[in-house]
Amino acid sequence: MRAMSPLVEIRLVTVRELRRSFRSFKGVLLGIIAIAGGAGVSMLLAWIDRAKRESLPPGIDIEAAQEPFFTASYGEETGKAIAACPYALWTILVATLWLGPLLISLLDYDTVSGEVQHRSVRFWTVRTRRSSYILGKALGAWFSVLAVTLGMNVIVWGVTIGVGKVPPAQVLAWGARFFAVTMPISAAWCGVAVLVGSLFRTPMLSLLAISAAFSGLWILRVVAGLSDWPWLAYAYPNFYDSLLLSPRPSTVALGLLGTGAIAALTTGAGASLFRMRDV
Amino acid sequence: MASLRSPSPGGSVEDAALRTVHLTKRFGQKIAVDDVSLTVPAGAVFGLVGPNGAGKTTTFSILAGYLHPSGGRAEVLGFAPTAVDELRARLGVLPQDALLPAQDTVGEFLVHMAELQDLPHPKALAAARESLDDVAGRDWWNQRCGSLSHGMAKRVALAQAFLGEPEVVLLDEPTAGLDPRVAFEVRQLVKAKKGHRTIVISSHNLTELEETCDYAAILDRGKIVASGSMAELTAANQEVRIQLAAGTRRGTTPGEVPVSRVRDIPHVTTVDLQEEQPELVVGFDRSQTDAEAIIGKVLTVLLQNEVRISGVTKGRGLEQRLIDLVG
Repeated sequence: MRAMSPLVEIRLVTVRELRRSFRSFKGVLLGIIAIAGGAGVSMLLAWIDRAKRESLPPGIDIEAAQEPFFTASYGEETGKAIAACPYALWTILVATLWLGPLLISLLDYDTVSGEVQHRSVRFWTVRTRRSSYILGKALGAWFSVLAVTLGMNVIVWGVTIGVGKVPPAQVLAWGARFFAVTMPISAAWCGVAVLVGSLFRTPMLSLLAISAAFSGLWILRVVAGLSDWPWLAYAYPNFYDSLLLSPRPSTVALGLLGTGAIAALTTGAGASLFRMRDV
Repeated sequence: MASLRSPSPGGSVEDAALRTVHLTKRFGQKIAVDDVSLTVPAGAVFGLVGPNGAGKTTTFSILAGYLHPSGGRAEVLGFAPTAVDELRARLGVLPQDALLPAQDTVGEFLVHMAELQDLPHPKALAAARESLDDVAGRDWWNQRCGSLSHGMAKRVALAQAFLGEPEVVLLDEPTAGLDPRVAFEVRQLVKAKKGHRTIVISSHNLTELEETCDYAAILDRGKIVASGSMAELTAANQEVRIQLAAGTRRGTTPGEVPVSRVRDIPHVTTVDLQEEQPELVVGFDRSQTDAEAIIGKVLTVLLQNEVRISGVTKGRGLEQRLIDLVG
């Protein structure tokens, strides 16, 4: 008998997970909060951006005005490369990176534990490889987060274009680039969330554990900055934003490799542990 | 008992659908299943019987691949129960207390399950509809699983267990918590599916198991205390029991039980009149005759002596057998 491809299993579980996410009260509420919040904040940011551009002294363009700030944040090469970006879009990138873990923990904490708690998972384990179930869940969680953050970003792009100080093509180009930066980083966070969340049978414990794990990773980042162990920062997904924003392809590749490794290792570990456990 | 077609402790049966060999499951210090070896012949309806904590749900859960054994092994159609690729679409399971996914509609849930059995979407759709029709749930297709009553949810779960006509179906407490009418319908469904596939039922409802199963294993404290065909377990092919009107006594006068005349019936081996019940238990040589022939002859003798009879059963009944074995 021909074996069913794991990719088909993963696709089926992912699609069902997406449907589940956006049908649940929690998913709808988080989506509305994120998108409505994004809309509100973007209005404010676009207004700030516009005021900033209008108040520039003659002969100084926005790139020159923003360059010192971005250089201080990301280093000279990357700072110069993104100096011309609309400030509102950059702010939304930062907000997405900081609020992403919160959104992911709230959206994904019961992805696996909820179905283990109520034993619904037993309907799947008879028909699906457990590794495919976890991978499908992780992908579904990631796509749900991407859908919410994309919705938020699209509103910001629309408002920025509406304000009219930046050409639409530039807004879309910067917007797409910044959104692309958040994609691998949120994949890494989702991997951590699925790994930690799948270890618990109770969604509330899962939420607490995911929050603790995310905080732990942030503490690692802080320790890395203060100690002789700077490599600890590589465990923190948001560390990779500066690499992913770099104009140098090899640096971007390193960023992708790092976030991809976190996502793959955590999801793989989650799948292995789930395969060994009783459900 | 260890014949080719019988479930047998540790027996090697070529056409076995399920098999456990020295199966053990520990939860910490507690041994839930202790060295259980049994074989379920292909095509049989097999009951797992026992009091609470006997280990039947744990055994069931290992066979369904939910739990990993601590020792020994389990096989379904020759494969480990966790071998999803080999068992996909060949094994259907009704878990006892698993909640259906509340956000999915019944149709979405069943189609999704059918697609995971490697059915292309049109076939999955057809299989899901057919399966839902089988449990008389056609009208629930667009209803959210979370809004179903307990009985409806149980039937939807049953529909997913029989989805795609699997070769082996495991049912854990299929009628638990159902009202009598729905429980009857579920029993009828299981009977209708009987013969086409191997079905294993774990249940507390002994009357239901006696009525439905060909074979059973009685578990107590994690161990098998008896197993075999239902006729063997209930001694249905070894003895008949005649329930008598209250106050019936041994004797030869009209209305009394002429025990010696019953004993003289050919092939009768034992006669025991339990006056406190009152019940007449007649054992016979099953190699020479059968229960129906003995019932006819014993009733003739009793009726000739004007004994008042209130009922006749073959064997002890599974309930009595269970009480005899596990107290």
